[in-house]
Amino acid sequence: MATQVKPGVFTGKLFARRAVATAPAERSARAFLPTILPVIVIGVLILLLPTFVPSYIQSLVTKMMIFALFGVSMNILWGFAGIPTFGHAAFFGFGGYCAGILIVHGGVGNFWINLVLAFLLTGLLAAGLGIPAFRVYGVGASDNPIYFLLVTLAFGELLSRVAISARSLTGGSTGLAGIPYPQGVLPGLHINSHSFYFLTFVIVVVCLFLIYRLVNSHYGYALRGIHDNERRMQALGYNTWLYKYTSYIVAGAFGGVAGVLFAYFGGVMVPGNMGMAMTDIVFLIVILGSASIYLGPIVGAIVVVGVEYLASLYVPDRWPLIMGAIIVFVIMVIPQGIGVLLLTGWRRLVRHGAS
Amino acid sequence: MSAGLLAGPTDGVLVSTPGGRVSTFIITTLNGISYAFILFLLAAGFSLTFGVMGVINLAHGALYVLGAYFGLAIVNSLGSFWAGVVVAAVGVGLVGLGIYFFFLRHLYGKVPEQAVLTIGLGYALANIILWVWGPFAKMGMTPELFVGVVRVGDLAFPIYRLFIVGVGIAVLIVLWWMQDKTRVGAIIRAGMDNKEMTRSLGINYGLVSTAVFLFGAALAGFAGILGAPVLGAFPSMGDALLLLTLMVVVVGGTGYIQGTVLGALIIGLVDTFGKAYIPQAALFTSYVIFIVVLLVRPSGLIGRKVF
Repeated sequence: MATQVKPGVFTGKLFARRAVATAPAERSARAFLPTILPVIVIGVLILLLPTFVPSYIQSLVTKMMIFALFGVSMNILWGFAGIPTFGHAAFFGFGGYCAGILIVHGGVGNFWINLVLAFLLTGLLAAGLGIPAFRVYGVGASDNPIYFLLVTLAFGELLSRVAISARSLTGGSTGLAGIPYPQGVLPGLHINSHSFYFLTFVIVVVCLFLIYRLVNSHYGYALRGIHDNERRMQALGYNTWLYKYTSYIVAGAFGGVAGVLFAYFGGVMVPGNMGMAMTDIVFLIVILGSASIYLGPIVGAIVVVGVEYLASLYVPDRWPLIMGAIIVFVIMVIPQGIGVLLLTGWRRLVRHGAS
Repeated sequence: MSAGLLAGPTDGVLVSTPGGRVSTFIITTLNGISYAFILFLLAAGFSLTFGVMGVINLAHGALYVLGAYFGLAIVNSLGSFWAGVVVAAVGVGLVGLGIYFFFLRHLYGKVPEQAVLTIGLGYALANIILWVWGPFAKMGMTPELFVGVVRVGDLAFPIYRLFIVGVGIAVLIVLWWMQDKTRVGAIIRAGMDNKEMTRSLGINYGLVSTAVFLFGAALAGFAGILGAPVLGAFPSMGDALLLLTLMVVVVGGTGYIQGTVLGALIIGLVDTFGKAYIPQAALFTSYVIFIVVLLVRPSGLIGRKVF
């Protein structure tokens, strides 16, 4: 219930507090069957999966998890705060490059140090870019976000150009290669492609949990309020600029974490990871999976990464055509996304089962 | 991908004999201006649909490439450059009409959706072009009329580039005249200000905007075939061209054709001079201009806020 953005419901401080305060035990009992149970089942399935499937499927699922985190991090901005951005890949790529440069050039081997540093640096980058970017972002839903879209697009492209130019640091247009699997995760634990799956699972689940707590906190309700009616939020005394700006930073930092995992996963970062092509993929993931549902982008990531994999097996040259066709289909036919369809279907099923 | 494309206009087309700083400067200026007019032709169609109708068509780069390939196919089979130009403009105009009629018409006012949809269409178009014509770059043939160079002192400048500047100026004058002096232009400007009011005066604004979109797409195709002898044509060039288009339109300003030509001149000259004088920063000089203009004047140097 609480995972869905309902227009016009959470618009005030009072409502937000009350929503959080109403009888938590009863709420969680009601939420258990439709929401928490499937999440636990999926989690257990993912953990058990490697025992049943070959290693290439395992690596595919690793990629799905990484892109799920990427999509959910972007959805803080789009689904919750209502800010569409075309530059989210900039943070993904920047996080990945941070980790890669620290390992290859900085000699910092420890996974946790890399992860935390990349998280903080990406957040700093978002804080730096957010100030100019939000100068062109209007107030309220009536204002068109086109200039914000263009600025964020330009930031992503600019950063990928910088990555091409700074050859000594980033390896230029051929990319930064030679990123090994994480080291120093736990004493005595050697990470290979098999155990990287579980490491990714843990990191992604922790990040998803943190983001979930964030968007369902008072802060998250304020973001939804801004999405619905920014003027009213201002009238209620909220500094809406600060909320939007901080959500940009948080989304960027978590996007950076996804980038770090992706850098370890592929062992290489290329400038294209920061540019428009990557942004398009994450946009598709969010739209396809439903921006209005917290778990939506996860569905999107499973579908998009899965279809990309199938396309790479059977029709490797036609992937852009397939991707374009999916985008057109989703926008024209199911603009609310698959996630909404799945959720309503599941709720109907649960209700029928209960009665 | 984009680096190769952007390098095009200065790639040794101009032959400079001994030459000192002055002749380098003149050559760079001429190069910059001719590049600017290619950019103008590229961006004019986008500026029209974006500034006039508030429809953002990010498939514009792919439409340009489609125009180049349509035109080249005709040029190679019929041997006539002018037939190629006509087919490119008409063919791409019809594709644009299809895009508007089937998709964009239904997404009025939903800018993020329009943007994502047209990006998807751009991907699909680029991949279809790759499928049909193969991955290799094609070079457009310069029409026989314009082969050769003009010599001024010890400087040489290809005639074809002068021709492009001329065509660019002609298109500018036509668009300017249409915008300011004709009834269609008046309807379009009225629709920009107040769509409902324009409709209630009995004007079929839907028809006008469809026609404008068709015209914008046709301009993309026209630019594609005209630019082919200079920039060449390869399936993946659409992305880089799209970014250039966005920069031109945003820097110059939306809503007026004067803004587009100003933006094209600024981006064209900055890019060319950047490559000639500070090559290490050449990849992003125009991006810096773009971001600075967006931050200082989001509606562009000349122009009005569309939305």
